[in-house]
Parts: sequence; structure tokens; C-alpha cells
Amino acid sequence: MKIEQSKIVAALTIALFCGFSVSLSGFLTVDNLLSLLRSVSVLGILGIGMALTVISRGVDLSMVANMVIGMALAIVIAQPGVMVAGGLPFWVALLLGVGFVVATGAITGALVAYGELPAVFATLAMGSIIYGIGRVGLISSDSNYLPADTAWIAFLGSGQVAGIPMPIICFLAIAVFFAFILKRTTLGRYIYAVGDNPIAARTAGVPVRPTLMLIYIVAGLTALVAGLLISGAVNQINTRLFISTMIYDVLLVVVVGGIGLSGGKGGMSNVFLGTVMIGVLLNGMTIMNLSHTQQNLIKGLFLLLAIVVDTLLNPRDEQTGQQGDI
Amino acid sequence: MKTWTKVISAAAAVLAVSAATVSAQDKGLPDPRHDKYVDAMSGKKVVYVPIGMGYDLSEGWWAGLQRELVPLGVDLEIRDPNWSVDAGVRTLTSLIGERPDLIMVQSPDEQSYSRVLRKAEKEGLHVVQIQMHSSHSSDIFVGADWIQVGEEVAKIAANHCGPDSSGKISIMQGVLTASASIFQVRGVYNILDQHPHIQVVSNQAADWDASKARAIMETVVQQHPDLCAAIGFWDTMDAGTGAAIREAGLQDDVFLVTSGGGHKDACDNLENETFDVAISYDVPRQALELANAARALLQVESEAGAFKYSHYSPLTVMTKETLDTHRLNGACWTKESIASK
Amino acid sequence: MLGLRMNLELVRKWRYQLIPDHVVGEILEKRWTDNAIPIVTLAGVIAALYLSIPDFFSSYAITDYSRQIAELGLVVLAMTIVMIAGGIDLSVGSTFAIGNFTALYCVHILGMHPLPAFGLTCLSGILCGAFNGYFIGYLRLRAFLTTLVSLIIFRSIVDLLLQKHAVGIMATFPDSDLWYEIGEGDLWGLPYTIIATGMIAIFVHILFSRMRPGWHIMAVGGSRRSAHNAGVNVKRTVFLTYVASGLLCTIAAFMFASRLSSASSDAGNGLEIMALTAAVLGGTSLGGGRGSVAKALLGTAIVLLLSNGLIRLGIQGGASSLIFGIILMLAVLIDVRWLKNRGKILNKVYVSPTYMRLPPAPETGAGGSSPYAQNDKLHHVEIIGLGEIEGPEDVILDENDHLYAGTRHGDVVRFLAPDHKKMEIFAHIGGRPLGMALDADGNLVTCVASMGVYSVSPQGKVTKLTDQTNRSWSSVVDDSRLNLADDLDIGPDGKVYFSEATKRFDTHTWAVDCLESRGNGRIVCYDPATDRTRTLVSDLIFPNGICTSHDGQSILFAESWACRISRYWISGPSAGKVEPVIPNLPGYPDNINRSSDGHYWLALLGMRGPALDLAQTIPGFRKRMARRVADDSWLFPNINTGCVVKFNEQGEILDALWDLGGVNHPMLSSMREHKGHLYLGGVSNNRIGKYKIPDAEPNWTGFTSYWGRAS
Repeated sequence: MKIEQSKIVAALTIALFCGFSVSLSGFLTVDNLLSLLRSVSVLGILGIGMALTVISRGVDLSMVANMVIGMALAIVIAQPGVMVAGGLPFWVALLLGVGFVVATGAITGALVAYGELPAVFATLAMGSIIYGIGRVGLISSDSNYLPADTAWIAFLGSGQVAGIPMPIICFLAIAVFFAFILKRTTLGRYIYAVGDNPIAARTAGVPVRPTLMLIYIVAGLTALVAGLLISGAVNQINTRLFISTMIYDVLLVVVVGGIGLSGGKGGMSNVFLGTVMIGVLLNGMTIMNLSHTQQNLIKGLFLLLAIVVDTLLNPRDEQTGQQGDI
Repeated sequence: MKTWTKVISAAAAVLAVSAATVSAQDKGLPDPRHDKYVDAMSGKKVVYVPIGMGYDLSEGWWAGLQRELVPLGVDLEIRDPNWSVDAGVRTLTSLIGERPDLIMVQSPDEQSYSRVLRKAEKEGLHVVQIQMHSSHSSDIFVGADWIQVGEEVAKIAANHCGPDSSGKISIMQGVLTASASIFQVRGVYNILDQHPHIQVVSNQAADWDASKARAIMETVVQQHPDLCAAIGFWDTMDAGTGAAIREAGLQDDVFLVTSGGGHKDACDNLENETFDVAISYDVPRQALELANAARALLQVESEAGAFKYSHYSPLTVMTKETLDTHRLNGACWTKESIASK
Repeated sequence: MLGLRMNLELVRKWRYQLIPDHVVGEILEKRWTDNAIPIVTLAGVIAALYLSIPDFFSSYAITDYSRQIAELGLVVLAMTIVMIAGGIDLSVGSTFAIGNFTALYCVHILGMHPLPAFGLTCLSGILCGAFNGYFIGYLRLRAFLTTLVSLIIFRSIVDLLLQKHAVGIMATFPDSDLWYEIGEGDLWGLPYTIIATGMIAIFVHILFSRMRPGWHIMAVGGSRRSAHNAGVNVKRTVFLTYVASGLLCTIAAFMFASRLSSASSDAGNGLEIMALTAAVLGGTSLGGGRGSVAKALLGTAIVLLLSNGLIRLGIQGGASSLIFGIILMLAVLIDVRWLKNRGKILNKVYVSPTYMRLPPAPETGAGGSSPYAQNDKLHHVEIIGLGEIEGPEDVILDENDHLYAGTRHGDVVRFLAPDHKKMEIFAHIGGRPLGMALDADGNLVTCVASMGVYSVSPQGKVTKLTDQTNRSWSSVVDDSRLNLADDLDIGPDGKVYFSEATKRFDTHTWAVDCLESRGNGRIVCYDPATDRTRTLVSDLIFPNGICTSHDGQSILFAESWACRISRYWISGPSAGKVEPVIPNLPGYPDNINRSSDGHYWLALLGMRGPALDLAQTIPGFRKRMARRVADDSWLFPNINTGCVVKFNEQGEILDALWDLGGVNHPMLSSMREHKGHLYLGGVSNNRIGKYKIPDAEPNWTGFTSYWGRAS
């Protein structure tokens, strides 16, 4: 029987969860579990977009750039005197931000689909370009504060419904939506087909290139949603997030959850699993009073453990390994 | 015919000379100091090397320097290492080769620039250090006295956390090796050591990064929900610290003290109670002092490093209640307001 | 009208003689053309910076850049080594930070001498590399993910250590002059660090181009599975690439530490992106198998000059990020397109026909008065080895009457005397044996396609005589290696004269050389006494058969597409000169051999046709054909009908032997007279013919004709 990585991660997560519940006082409380989920839900939303690209045998390293620039662009555009002397209503500005993200997503998708660039490089370069365009053109400072008429964003970022923080609800809603798309619609089938074997998919009549473009546009849009939640929570978005290692965390959530980089496998449950595992780990360590850096170290070691266990249980063979499969 | 024209031209010449003399007497005398000043400024190359553009302090200084120096004909240039220490060192090294008349530099940490700044001095280049200095002192330092800033914020936090509170205080440093962290934390402990009931529960570095500060603070407030006060080392970074506090619903319980340039964003954060106290080292005034330092160094004929002095900025304690007064004194600035002053 | 046409043809002739079209294809074939794009990019960057910033390349600045190249170059080299083996190392920046910390800790806090500190720094890098290498090489984890995780792990370790020691490092100034000298000192304007990096780069270059470990890395990256099947220890090789990467990163970090003593947590941040960009800009491919030291250094120079230039121009962080992104994207785009289309372009432009006008072909009609007149003399020949042998290009008999022939399978087979019914494999060479000759000691000397000239002893022992000649300096490709040695003969002094039909095509595509009809071939001499090989005559149009004249003073050689026989004097007053013997044949000549009556036999492997003769005068037509028409529809020389002719020293045709019925020997590439019979071979035949020559000397053998005695 083949033991999938997702099952290993699930087992590890449950083991961690039980271990923490027993050994750490204050872990197994509703408040703590909610705050656990809330703290990783932005990561989870980014993970959803990333998962779509990874399933289609790509990767999107420009997500954080899209997130900060798309959001900051909307904020700047809404300011008085930028577009309209009195300032735009924020939702109009946000639509322009959406337009920006759709455009960059389409360009990235076109580079991958039509330009046949390796997704790693195309999105790496696009990340730089998006950040550069934003910072050169319009956004003059790192920190961009939300305008006043945006209570609904603050609600998204830090409000609660029935005691459940909004970011969790957003994360789950988006995950359920894409789970439906992936499992129940033709588009979902296409995405798996493209990731599994692009050439076979093309032969079978799947519109490979348009599907790829759509995936990168959707990834950009989820990034923008994550940007909304972040700025809702802290009332601002800082473009220097682009320079941080956040994008690696997103990628790791996806991969640790069990979505292989060779594409065609995995789904939203994997993203959820990966996110929850990171959340449990971080939360437990927080209760154990470990510093931020110590947590990073342990998180890294734990991720390594997950990958090692997966590889040991599902070894790759010299004869069947794909060339260029890194 | 000929004598007639000679007479006329002679008369004209006399008239012209006397008219010139008369006008000179009427319009005052040329001032040699003025000419010297104009000569000392015009066409001189001054290069500004912040640790990165795009944040309030560097933009504020830049706006002020432009406002003060460009009209004098100074050739003002900017080199943006964009938060990369390595790029900063490369910039300075290449500046030594270019030999501008003055370098104005902000060091990301104590050590990285010190060797190259010493070399610049040896090569005879005048250097003004801004706000965060390097362990090598150059001609003039303009910026905050970090020991004093640390003592001020610590005093405020310690006063807030009396013996009846939990006495728990967290410290959010910037880049550990930056002068703004090393000396400020010294100042903080100078005060906190006098208050035995105060306990520092967290002392971590967020590298001037608001999102990192938020991640760290999220952990801290979960670990210590009874945290009394948080000391932050820079208001832009502490927007993240404050956000974490607010997300945890502890906005009214945790007292956040920070410091910064007194930018409008800081005022907004005081207004919306993200910060409880913000100490300002008054960037518009620093910009003016920087410009004066430049004017001085462009005029003196002494060797680089011949005399060295520091120009510490006075500090203002800003709270939500006192904001209006500070606004009158030029706080809550934006780079546009500095440029247009 | 006619005059105009003649003039146009003259123009065409000169145009094709003066412009060497084939060079384009040969240049494209070179591996260094890979570097063309990065070199052009670098030149463009240098030009742009030179024009926009006047003192950008002052001597001071150049010293400064070389210091930066020394550090970044090592990191890019590290990335390149890993990428060549098919992996990726995202942890270079964090490893660099670890190295920086180790160096600073040893020198500043422990107060160590820089030398042991250097050793410990290297050790830290080797450990980091071994960490990655163990997981990726031995446990077969994915490189991308593993190094992503180790990036985080190493960085957290550095951050934790810095929290403890940063202030301590900052506060101490070690009084070791050597420590400062490493990072800041120079030797005649050249910083020590660039000297060190240069030596490392040269070593790595030699490693990849000349040494076994480097070849193993290339092989693993080129095709991991094949390397594994070929016996390369793939796991260890991959492991070692990561160790090398870690080591190089920390050496760079040591230089950095000595130059700046910066205990900032910023050290090495984002270095992985910079190194990756540089590697890709230089032309190293993700996925392995392609990359070199030169590419790594080119990429480094481009990235560094650009980033310095952008800072110098006062461009702010956002804009330089934009420009870098665009450049990275263009580099990858060009790289991908180049790799994808290079083969296609090469296929299209490789065949480069040239102008050739043959005189009108002599008449060959049956019953005519022409000496070539067709007949059916070869219709009734004895058949040897029918169906047993494939493609005996040449045949030869020894003094014991055994019949030897080469086969398509890379063997020399022997049909045993007296009846030649029994066939045995005499020797296995591996390449296809073509022309053959016996030397004075009875060794069978043979030209082997794509391999060179080999000798087979009477006991069947194979020895290589030569596989290369002197390189001709006007050639773009290295033509010293023998490509298609075709026929040979041995002079009285034992020197081996052989023809190389074409340098540009191989055994499978030799007929395409006819489309070019350029002088792609040469006559080469191997001297066993000195073991030296020299080219005698070059620029020959498919030189094929070679035969030493009866008096031993000259050799006769055939040029197939030029349809002529010439003589090359090897001794006597005209030594070294070439003179025509038969200027115009009706077909394409192949092997030449002596006949018992003091004349020569010549095989014509195919007959000329007017269509191809005309096409030879219109290179543009053939070029279009080669580009636009599938190769099975090309206009090829006819090699289905040929004959054997006999000619004398003056080049007069004495006899012609045909198989008009086309049953046994419609096509011939060789014939050999032996004791009154003519043995017939053909490059695409499945038999050897034996023709009884009327009135021939019944005891004459080739061996006695050459060496005058029985062996």
C-alpha cells in the first residue's frame, strides 16, 4: 500500500495536536484554537492560489508581490488628489487593484503558457517587475494606510461572526469554493489534466494554454484577497513584505500538505492540512515560550522531517525519476 | 569735424564713468562673503545615501535637503541601496572613487560601513552621518541621541507600569547591530534597572520590519496576555507591533511606547490609539540641520575629520492629547509638507 | 541572352567561392555559441554604462568591481555546479550567512588567527553542504524543497547566534593585519580575493573540462538515468555538488567577513535570487547538463555591473527591481527559445551547397563506340556470401587466398579459401571498415568510418594506427579528428595514404555531401615510422579511392562528386604536386586498385545524370531544396547503377564491365583482382561477386605486386 504524504502529515499533525493538548496547558481551548487558525488563515489563502499553480505543474513566486502591490495600489489610488481631487471611493480603487492583479496574472500566465518559460523563473521575474512597477509608478512609501471609509475591510481582517474570526471564515469559504471547482467542474478536470501531463492534455483537446493563464490570474486574485485581510487586520499594507521570505512559507504550506511539485495531484484538503499543521506547530511553540527565531528553526526542521518521511516511504527510483524534476 | 567728434566722445566717456560711479554708490557694495558662499555651494556634488528610500525618515530628509540645497546650485544626488548592506558598501566604495564634495550617509549598522567610512576620511572626503551612525565617527553626526531616546521611552513605560501592574514589558528592537538598537536598548536598561518590579519578558529584533514585528508581537501577547507595556524602537515598525496587540484585543491593556520622526502616519496611529506614546526626533528639523551641516562642510577648508562633532536632535513626547500642539510645531509632517515649506 | 546567362553564372560562381556559407552551420554547432547571448548582453551593459556614467570604469572602480565579482562569483559558481548536476541550491545565501558568522566569531570573539579561522569557516560550509547533499543526494529528496527548508533552517541558526554574539562581534577590533589585508589588500592593483577566486575558477573549469569528477557531474545533469546505468555513482556525485556549493559559499563569506566585519543579519539575504539570476543570465540551464565556469562568471559580471550601475544612476529600489525582473525574464526567454530552436536552425542552415560545373558527361550507350559502352559482362559472376554479408565496401585477398571484407556491423569477416563458402568473423573493430590494404608484414590496414585507420594482424589483433591529423587553422570546427576515412593504400616506404571523404558528414549522411559539392575532403598520410599523421592535400571534393601507382612514385586518387581521377606525386621530381589523370568520368568514381596487366581498375559507384549536373551549377536551388523539402525527396546522386572500368597510367579507358541486367552487381564500390579473378564489393550489397577475367595473369596477386614476395 502506498502511503501518501498527506496521510503522513495528517498523522504528524494529529500527533502534535495530541501531544500539545496533553502537555501544554491552555492549548486545547476554543479561544486558542481559533487564534491558531486565524494566525495562519492568510497563509492558507495564499496557499490556495499557490496550490492551483502547483497542481498545474507550475508555481507562482509573484503572489506576495501581487498581494502588496495590488493592495497598496488600491490604497494609493483612493487617496485624494491621485486620481480624483476628492479621492475615490475605496471600492472603485479596489476594482482598479483587481484589474492590475488580473493583468499581471494574465501576463505571467502568458509567459508560462505561450512563452514556455519555466514557471519558477517567469514568476520570479514577474514578482520583481510587479514590485518595481508599483514602486516606481505610484506607491511612494513602504507603509500604506487604509483610508477611512473601509470599515468592511477592517471587519474582514479582524471582525468576528458568531465568535469565529472573519479570516478563518474567508479561508474556509475560498477553500470550499475551489474544492468545488477542482472536484466538480470541467475546469477542475482541466487543471488536473494540465498538471498531470500537459502534452497528453493538449492532445485530448484540453485548452492547456488558456487554462494556465486562468490559473495564474486566479492566483493573483487570491493574493489580493490575502492582501485585503492583512490590511484589514493591521490597517495598512507594507510593500516591504515582498522582500521577506513569506513566499517560501506559502510554498511550504502547499508542499507539506502533500501537493507534489510535479503537478496533477492534491487539492484543497492538502492546503488545509498543511496550513493547520503549521498553525498547530507555531501555536504550540508560542505557548512553550519559544522566540520567533527559535520557532523558525523548529518549523524548518519539522518541515524537513515531513519531506524526509515522505521520501523514505515513497522513494523515487533512478530508473523512473523524471529528468529536470527538481 | 574731427575735433568736434573727439570732444563729444570725451564728454560721453566722462558722463559714462561718472554715471557708473554714481550708480555704484547708490546700489551698495559687493559682499566678498556672499561670493565665497555662492562659489562654495554652486556646482558642488553632495551625495545622499540612506539605507533605503520609500520610508518616512529618508524621504523627509531628502525633501528637506532638496528644498535647502538645490536652490543654492548644489548638485544633489541620491544613491539608494534599497536596504541592502552590501549594496550600501558598494555605493560608498564607488563614491570614494568618484570623490564627491560631501557624502551624507545613514548606516544600517555600527560595523558594516565603518571601514569604508574611515577609508573615505583618509581619502579626504567629508562625511555627514545621519541618524544611525557607524562606529567610525565622521565630520558631523546629525540625529537622535539613542541613549536618551531609550531612557525616555523606558521612563514612560516604567511610569505606566507601576507596582500594581504585572510589570511585564516587551522590547521590540530593530536591526540588532544598528546604533538605533544597541544604544537605545542601553538607555532602556539604564532606566529599567532602577525598577526592580519590572520584568522584560521579551527582547527580540524585528529588523525594522512591521510584518516581522507583528509576527513577533503576536507570539508575545499570546504568551503574556497580562503584558503591561511594549517598547518599540521605531514607529513604522511598531505599526506592526500595535496591530498584533489590537488583533489580540489587548489595545486597552498593553501600553505601546515608540519613537520615530513624527510623521503623519505616527500621528494617525496615536489618533487611532495604536500607539499610546510616540517620541519624535523631529525630522523636518533634522533635515534643516543636515542642510546646515552640508553648508558648513562645503565652506570650510579644513581636512576631512579634522574636527568631529555630533548634533543631537531634541526629543518631543507626543500623545493623542497633545497632538494639536505638536501639529503647530511642525509635527505630523509629510514629505510634501517639508518640500513646500 | 546567352552571354547574360554566362555572366550570371560567373557571378554565382564567384559568390559561392568567396563566401563560405558552411561556416554559419559550423559556428552554430560549436558549444561556445551558447555563450554568445551573455557575451553580447555583457558588452551591451558595459557600453551602456560607459556612455551614461563617464567614470564608471575608472581604475579605482574596476578594482572595486573585481572585489565584488570575487565574492559573488564564488556563490554563482556554487549555484552553477549544483545546477549542472540537475539540482538547485536555494540555501546559498543562508550558507553564506553561516560562513560570515563563523569567520567573525572565530576572529573577533575567539581571537583566532585568520588561517585556522578560514579552515573552520570552510568546515562550516562543508557541513551545510553535506546537510543538503545527504538529503538530496542520498535520500533523494527534492532539491528545490530541501534547500528551501535549509534556507530557513540555516538562516534561523544564524539569527539565533547573532542575537547572542552580534554586539560582541561589533565591539571588538581584532589586531590581526592579515585579517584586514585579506579583504582589502591587493597585489599590483589586483585584490587578493579576485586572485583566489580566479584560481578557484580555473580549477573548477579544469575539473569540468578535463577531470573525471567534473564529467560525472555533467553526466548526472545531462541524464541522471543514463549516468546511473553507465555506472556513475549518482548519489555520491550529487552529494558532492552540494558540498562544493557549501564550501564555495563560505569561502565567499570569509572574504565578505574580512572586508566588512559586518555582523548584520542581512548578510547573504536574497543572495539565492541574485545567484540564480546570474547563473541563468550566463546561460546555465535549470534541469542540468548545461553550464560552465565561463557562463557563471559572465552572468556574475552582468548582474554586478547592472546593479552597481543602477545605484550609480540614482535609480531607486523599485526601479532597479523592475529592470532586474525584465532582464531576468528576457534572459530566460531567450535561453528557452535558443535551446528550442538552435537544433532547428542548425538543421536548416547546415547543408550549404556551392557552385560546381562538370564538363558534359562522356557517352555510355550500349553498342556505341565509347569505351564506357554498356555491356553485360558482370551478369554471370560467381556469388560469395549471399545474404551472409551486409555492405562489403571493400574486399581484399591475402596470399593464402582468404577473402576479407568489412561489414555494416563493424566486423572484418573472412571467407576461407579455396571456395570461400565458409565465413568467419576475422576481427571486430566496432566501426564500419571501408577501404583495405595489406602492408608488407601481412597486416590488414583498414579505414574505419568515424574512427580512423586501424591495423589488424594476421592473428586478428586490432590496433589503432591513427585517428587524427593536424588541425587546419582556417577551419572553425576542430577538424583534427578523422571523420570519414574512406580508402587507403600503402606506399613502398610503408607510409599509409588515405582519403577522408568529407569532414562535414558522417557514415549515415555521406550522400548529402554531394549536395554541397564543396572541397570537404582531404588526403592524409600516416607514417608508421614516426607515428605522425599529416594532411597532404585538402579541399578535395569527396576524395574516395586511393591506389599507389605501379612504379610506387605517385598515388592515384578519385574525387567522387568531381568525377575525376588525379595523381599525387609522393616522390620524384614533382613530389607534392597534383596532376589530372582522368578529368571527366561519366559516373562517380570510388575505389581504385591495380590490375595484373600494369593498369588500374576503377569502380564507378553511380552514374551521372543531367538533372543533378545542372543542379550542381545552381547552389541556390539545392539550398532551397535542403531547407524546404523533406530529405527523402532530395535530389541525390544516382548510386543504383555503376560499373568497373580499367584505365592506364595515361588515363585512357581500356575496358568497362557492366551488369545491365541489374541482378547481381548493379552497384559497385570496389573490385580487387586476385589470381585471374576480379572480386566485387559494394557498399550497399549483400554479396561479393567473383568475375573471371579473360586473359588475366592467373597467378598475379596484389600482395606480390606491392611487396614482391609471399608473406
